[in-house]
Amino acid sequence: MASTVIGAGITVEGEITTDEDVVVAGTVRGKLTAKEGVTIEHGATVEADVAGASLVVGGSLTGNVKAARVTIADGAQFKGNVDMDV
Amino acid sequence: MAAHPSVIGRTTRVRGRVTGEVDLDVQGFVDGEIAVGGDVTIDAHGMVGGGVRGRRLVVRGAVKGDLHGEEAIALEDGARVVGDVRAPRVAIAPGALVRGFVETGEGSGASGKASRAQPAARPAAAPPKVAPAAAKAHAGNSAAAAAGPRRPPPPVVPALKKAKGQIAKKKER
Repeated sequence: MASTVIGAGITVEGEITTDEDVVVAGTVRGKLTAKEGVTIEHGATVEADVAGASLVVGGSLTGNVKAARVTIADGAQFKGNVDMDV
Repeated sequence: MAAHPSVIGRTTRVRGRVTGEVDLDVQGFVDGEIAVGGDVTIDAHGMVGGGVRGRRLVVRGAVKGDLHGEEAIALEDGARVVGDVRAPRVAIAPGALVRGFVETGEGSGASGKASRAQPAARPAAAPPKVAPAAAKAHAGNSAAAAAGPRRPPPPVVPALKKAKGQIAKKKER
């Protein structure tokens, strides 16, 4: 399935909006909004507010999160508010 | 790195800068500058509203901004580029549309300093623009030519005859 990948070695500074999955293995600064799942891979750096259907954090995330399901992997770094529509 | 080739997907919109040292595939919309060390592919559905810089650029979509290729640029069928195109090697395929300055050769991709000495590049790059303009010019020059089918040479020939006539008259005097 076609999706968006911010690979290792790529930096996006600004706003990303999408209707599909997003995988971040590189660096994102700004804002990240997806209708589907967001995956922040081990080694990735995200300094952004993140919104999506689901979120998996394996790397480093600094920012506020709004997602129905949030998973933070063992060893991941996370700093921010979580809103899971409770 | 190879496990994750970077892709801006079809429904994805990026507003801002995209930088890095690897390859990038743009299938969606990037409203900003792209500057990477690797190759950049702008897909048929891809649109970029800013300059694009990379090692080799392949464009099948739309770009509004300058293209800089360190090695080469290929504008393929369906490409629409409004901006300057600079690379050591530039290929413009049939079906690609360009409006801007095109410079090939060594140093063009890296420095970007243009010695605007290639006027031929412009008409060659934008044939669809030239054709209607030429047709209008012919229609204006001679009303008789407007009724008949397209005949680009005739307006040139009368112009030469007129010039010769004028010279002849001057000689008579």
